[in-house]
Amino acid sequence: MNTLNHLNRRQMLQRAGMGIGSLGLASLLQQEGLAAQNPLAAKNPHFKTKAKSVIWLFINGGPSHVDTWDYKPELAKRDGQALEGFDRFTGFFANAVGGLMKSPFEFKPHGQSGKHVSSIFPNLSKHVDKMAFIHSGHTESNNHSPALFAMNCGLPRMGYPCVGSWVTYGLGSESDSLPAFVVMSDPKGRGLPKGHAANWGAGFLPSVYQGTHFRPTGDPIDNLKRPTGMNAEQQRRQLDLLKTLNQQHFEVNPFEESLAARIESFELAYRMQSAAPEALAVDKEPEHIRAMYGLDDDKCKHVAAQCLTARRMVERGVRFIQIYSGGMENQRSWDGHNDIAGNHSQFAGETDKPIAALLQDLSQRGLLDETLVVWGGEFGRLPVAQKSKKPGRDHNPHALTYWMAGGGVKGGVSYGETDEIGHKAAVDKCHVNDLHATILHLLGMDHEKLTYRHNGRDFRLTDVGGEVVKEIIA
Amino acid sequence: MRFVLFVFLGWSASLLAAPKVSEKHAVEMAKGLALFKSDVRVLLKQHCVKCHGGDKIRGDLDLSTRAGLLKGGEEGPSIILGKAEDSFLMTVLRHEEEPFMPAKADKLSSDALKKIADWINLGAPYDQPLVEQSIAGKGMQVTDDDRNFWAYAPLQAVKAPVVQQKNWPANDIDRFVLRKLESVKLQPNGPADPRMQIRRLYFDLIGLPPSPTEVAAFVDDPSEQAYAKVVDHLLASKHYGERWGRHWLDVARFAESHGFEQDYNRNFAFHYRDFVIQALNADMPYDQFVKWQIAGDEFAPDNPLAMKATGFLGAGVFPTQLTEKEFESARYDELDDMANTTGTAMLGLTIGCARCHDHKFDPIPVRDYYRFINTFATTIRSEIDLPVNGDLTEATAKWEKAHAPLTAAFAKFEKDELPRRFALWAKNPPKSALQKQDWMILDHLQPKSLDGATFSKQADGSFLVGGKNPSNDRWVLTAELQTMGLNAIRIEALTDKSMPRNGPGRAGNGNFALSDIRVFAANKKGGQRVPVKLVNPKATHQQNTAGLSVASSIDGDKRKSGWAVDFGGIGKEQAAVFEFAAPVGFEGGTILTVEMDFYVNTSHTIGRPRLAVTAAPRPVAIKGDSSAASVATLLAALKQAGSVEKLDAKQRAALLKIYRAQDAEWTKLNNHVQQHLTRKPVPKMEKVQVTSEGFKPTKHHADGRGFPHFYKQTYFLKRGDANQKDGEATQGFLQVLMRGGKNEQSWQVAPPEGWRTSYRRRSLANWLTDTEHGAGHLLARVMANRLWQHHLGRGIVNTPNDFGLQGELPTHPQLLDWLALELIENGWRLKPLHKQIVMSATYRQSAAHDAAKLKADPQNKLHWRRTPARLEAEVIRDSILKVSGRLDERMFGAGTLDERMLRRSIYFMIKRSKLIPSMQLFDSPEPLVSQGSRPVTIIAPQALHFMNNGQVRASAMELARQLKAQPDTAAAVTLGYQTVLGRDPTPKEQKSIASFIDVQEKSYTNNGRELALADFVQVLFGLNEFIVQ
Repeated sequence: MNTLNHLNRRQMLQRAGMGIGSLGLASLLQQEGLAAQNPLAAKNPHFKTKAKSVIWLFINGGPSHVDTWDYKPELAKRDGQALEGFDRFTGFFANAVGGLMKSPFEFKPHGQSGKHVSSIFPNLSKHVDKMAFIHSGHTESNNHSPALFAMNCGLPRMGYPCVGSWVTYGLGSESDSLPAFVVMSDPKGRGLPKGHAANWGAGFLPSVYQGTHFRPTGDPIDNLKRPTGMNAEQQRRQLDLLKTLNQQHFEVNPFEESLAARIESFELAYRMQSAAPEALAVDKEPEHIRAMYGLDDDKCKHVAAQCLTARRMVERGVRFIQIYSGGMENQRSWDGHNDIAGNHSQFAGETDKPIAALLQDLSQRGLLDETLVVWGGEFGRLPVAQKSKKPGRDHNPHALTYWMAGGGVKGGVSYGETDEIGHKAAVDKCHVNDLHATILHLLGMDHEKLTYRHNGRDFRLTDVGGEVVKEIIA
Repeated sequence: MRFVLFVFLGWSASLLAAPKVSEKHAVEMAKGLALFKSDVRVLLKQHCVKCHGGDKIRGDLDLSTRAGLLKGGEEGPSIILGKAEDSFLMTVLRHEEEPFMPAKADKLSSDALKKIADWINLGAPYDQPLVEQSIAGKGMQVTDDDRNFWAYAPLQAVKAPVVQQKNWPANDIDRFVLRKLESVKLQPNGPADPRMQIRRLYFDLIGLPPSPTEVAAFVDDPSEQAYAKVVDHLLASKHYGERWGRHWLDVARFAESHGFEQDYNRNFAFHYRDFVIQALNADMPYDQFVKWQIAGDEFAPDNPLAMKATGFLGAGVFPTQLTEKEFESARYDELDDMANTTGTAMLGLTIGCARCHDHKFDPIPVRDYYRFINTFATTIRSEIDLPVNGDLTEATAKWEKAHAPLTAAFAKFEKDELPRRFALWAKNPPKSALQKQDWMILDHLQPKSLDGATFSKQADGSFLVGGKNPSNDRWVLTAELQTMGLNAIRIEALTDKSMPRNGPGRAGNGNFALSDIRVFAANKKGGQRVPVKLVNPKATHQQNTAGLSVASSIDGDKRKSGWAVDFGGIGKEQAAVFEFAAPVGFEGGTILTVEMDFYVNTSHTIGRPRLAVTAAPRPVAIKGDSSAASVATLLAALKQAGSVEKLDAKQRAALLKIYRAQDAEWTKLNNHVQQHLTRKPVPKMEKVQVTSEGFKPTKHHADGRGFPHFYKQTYFLKRGDANQKDGEATQGFLQVLMRGGKNEQSWQVAPPEGWRTSYRRRSLANWLTDTEHGAGHLLARVMANRLWQHHLGRGIVNTPNDFGLQGELPTHPQLLDWLALELIENGWRLKPLHKQIVMSATYRQSAAHDAAKLKADPQNKLHWRRTPARLEAEVIRDSILKVSGRLDERMFGAGTLDERMLRRSIYFMIKRSKLIPSMQLFDSPEPLVSQGSRPVTIIAPQALHFMNNGQVRASAMELARQLKAQPDTAAAVTLGYQTVLGRDPTPKEQKSIASFIDVQEKSYTNNGRELALADFVQVLFGLNEFIVQ
């Protein structure tokens, strides 16, 4: 193999004005046998599907399924009654268990599917015919951080790669100037989800697959700004010199295989400096789009900016985007231990309009088919009240609702059921591993084949479980 | 074939060796399995296995597994595969032969019988046993066959092979390598050029580049001896432990926070990191290194270093918030972390894979797993106080030896000389005995607090204030004085550890505030006391120059203003002096009264006052020689008595004290003793995180919920589920690594009577390091492989954390055994093995490339060349700091999360939720589980780091300032190249860079030269040549 010739070919292409990007860096590197050194090269899925990217709206803190999407008229009938045989250690506060409690919100049927939706989602309810609901979700822990880890990484323990990392590992990146996997957290100073960055960590996968956390304030990512006092031209000349010197070195030492990739990485970096701020520039969007997302609405403009950014990123080839609604716990997120009515009204108010706009916008741009939108948190909440001046609901690992839209899922369908009061998943139970298997499937990956050998074992996102919920796939 | 494997996998190892079967067979088995799942299973469960499976096995026939079915019972085989008609089982079911089955029940329906018959004809497959096997009893058996797998087999002593190319090998290592190469007709490369060799050594052994002088010296004399000298120098360097310690910390999944919800810091976990560095620098034998990490608290409980070593087991993640339902499973997770990390780090064994079922690939039954984790059942994380300056026994003995002659000489003088000298002096004590003193300490004061504070007199004439700390107080202090002509009073506020922050005040922050001070004098012989006017106040420190100044203690305001000492004066001794407007003192004695008020702030009194007066001329200095005011009284008494003998014993002793302080010889000898006393080794206590038993557990969020931290018993768990216990597990080790008929008892030791810990970890460590019958040979293999891996870029076993069946096979098994035996024979010391490896021709090869060789061995598994490798994150950062002259080489102690830190990267604090971005960027691993090797990526954010990172830029600027001092651009460029890359630039490079610097310099409006040079240096940092070695 004569790498030097390839390098010259690269220069030639650049001189010809074609640029590397237009040919696809990944494929070029593959030809040069250097793909191993670009772990983010785009890879083919196991089978062909529609979804190319994912936007996961993580409803942090544990949204109450019975107050949002899982309509339980029986709860109203038995309001105030004690729940016989209830294990008071189900939630977090064993000493605050009250009687059954009806939802403080009104449910009405919407769309052609006639799906009953809580009144806290006046905008999202218009899109139920795009959504596939899974009502029979259940998870492993009644505690935030293990449950967050389970929902993000498949196991209620620390140290495993999250869904976004697995997807990026499996499919690589479609963007040559933006991170493949982006996480946006609460910009209102309410903290990070419990367990912090481990929720978007790569675990034992190479760290290149970890989520890039776009900081909610200040510079979104590290090292994006040139050193103080240096302008673009000056830096360009620096990179030109770097390339010249690297190439001169290469002529004497033609065995340094990593050199070509290194040179290219500087070119990519140079582009990223403008690409990342450009992707975040939601103010460049036309007025009607900004208004549709709610950028002018104080109540929801922070989530509006994140949702709009997510769409712009999807357009620019970002593979996996996760947006956390809410910060850490209690009143700082959907963790409605106290005053479930007030808590959920507030957080629904922050997200309803922006997420609805995101669905509509993706749809009108023809992007919804190839973008899988996922809505859900780490667990559901109990049908019984958590006693308090204004009653709330405690954690419930036995039942939770997820919905997905776009990316090849059926619209207007509901899969699985909880029991009549929404206490536990009862029909067609769907474990977290099953949800993950389904998401991977929608992206064209067989969850049993997406493995990584680590310390002697082939690990997968779904551990030893996982069954694809075929019923919701179009 | 694959299908058949699927059917039997996991529960019937003996059938794994099934004969080859036809394609048709696989199809039939699939059908049979479907039939089994849909109908046959239920039939067998309902009608058969109550008596033929599980606890009851009638007629020795066990139908709960396929193996049992095929084996049959007392009556012979129960079925003939594929021939239901001829099967005994069918004849009894059809009631054609006795005993009719099911016993004492109706015949099965004809439909049921047909299904069973069809199933037998289709091969009678099971998907899983019909009855759960009990973990303790059945399951995988470990055999001598298993023990003979290459990794578990004893080390083979092999002589280095004979090779053809006699002049290439430098030592035996090379003979092993060359033999392999020759066998495939590959020619190894010759040595790299001297510059490359010395840079490789530096980066590899200490993680820092050589200086231009060091490079030049070796390039001038690249002899074998010079090379060996460099090797010895580097292995002896303190930086060696910092470099190689980092490799081990990856393996130990070391971090300094809990992880999970709140990711609380473990502020005293860094001691483990320091242990690793110290142990490696001291070349601690590896078996001891292992023993101490597992059970340092049991092997050497009095040695703080051994205690620090136990940080290993407790370095894993643990939830910071738990619900009752999670208590026990979280603890099993923690035991799993300890067992798993021990397994992968020490033995390259993936023990954790046997948590839910027998290990799928390696001979580790699930019962071995639970017996293994029982070792750690009562082991927990604690934070305890330890002397961190090491074992002082030796130092103390040495000190005592040096101290004895000093005290002897002093005692001899006091006995033989001092009485005579004292008597002589007392006959006519010189007046100067008193007058030479500047300050007379009022040690005979009568102090009184109006609000209930107490005073206790100290040896130095001060008074320690105790008792109630009133919100406001007034002190009245009186003393009788003989001296006349007094010119000033001094108030000292001394420190004491009884006060907050050592004082000098009793306020919560160590401050005080003296709102007012008044002095009165009265003639002892009678008469009114008169106020003494105080002037010219001054102090060693004052909190400000206004309301908290020393002057404000004698201003008109008696309540709201007064001398205080915060903002620089806390924890230090302070003093204030007030001069008397006119000399004070009466013939025949003066009674001095001092009143001090503390009203400025709540409970802000002085904590240890000492008052003194002086007759020295004005202006009076705050400092000066002092003596107790009682001296004057004593001398007066002596004068009256006429001779020493006539004084009472107490007075005589007091006078002797006064004399001896003026005796030059006594003072000299006493000083010798006192000064030496200050050098007595004293233990320095610090909090250290240990992993041990019986200490108070580290505080946990769930303590309030009754979290027990550990459970005394360990149970066998079905599918790893803490809710499915299956009998108690006692301690055991891995059977596959026990030879010669030994069992765990051979290594188990009981703790001494009444001892704090269980000694189970010590027992484990005994087994781990036993090279006769235990795991010692594998232990040596795994470590020898780690050394090779980091020196050569690739392990002989390329899966350094997995030596099991799923791991890669060794490329040079004989060499690996040879290295491992060398390690053991060197007394488990690592440095001799390092040296042998880096002295080899294999290690010193050039990276030169060859198309034909590349084709034959593309991954360079056989080492025909040196594979260039990118430096690790830490080495990149440390080297940039080093070449720019910014590196702070201080070692040890608490780390920081601040990326602006200038110490080596190993001293970053590792907080799991806030990993250092510049480390992660270059592939430093997440410290969650043991990492045997790091991936190497090349990604754009790394380039952004070189281009824009503030710290990289700061280093470039620093080096640029040094380059700027060079006479011209060419010289600056040359120095830059030498410093960063260890070589001179080529003329071509000089030319490119000269024009670059010229253009850049002109493009900046200010400071162009320096900025242009910094731009150039930054380019050097980004060169592959700098970060790939």
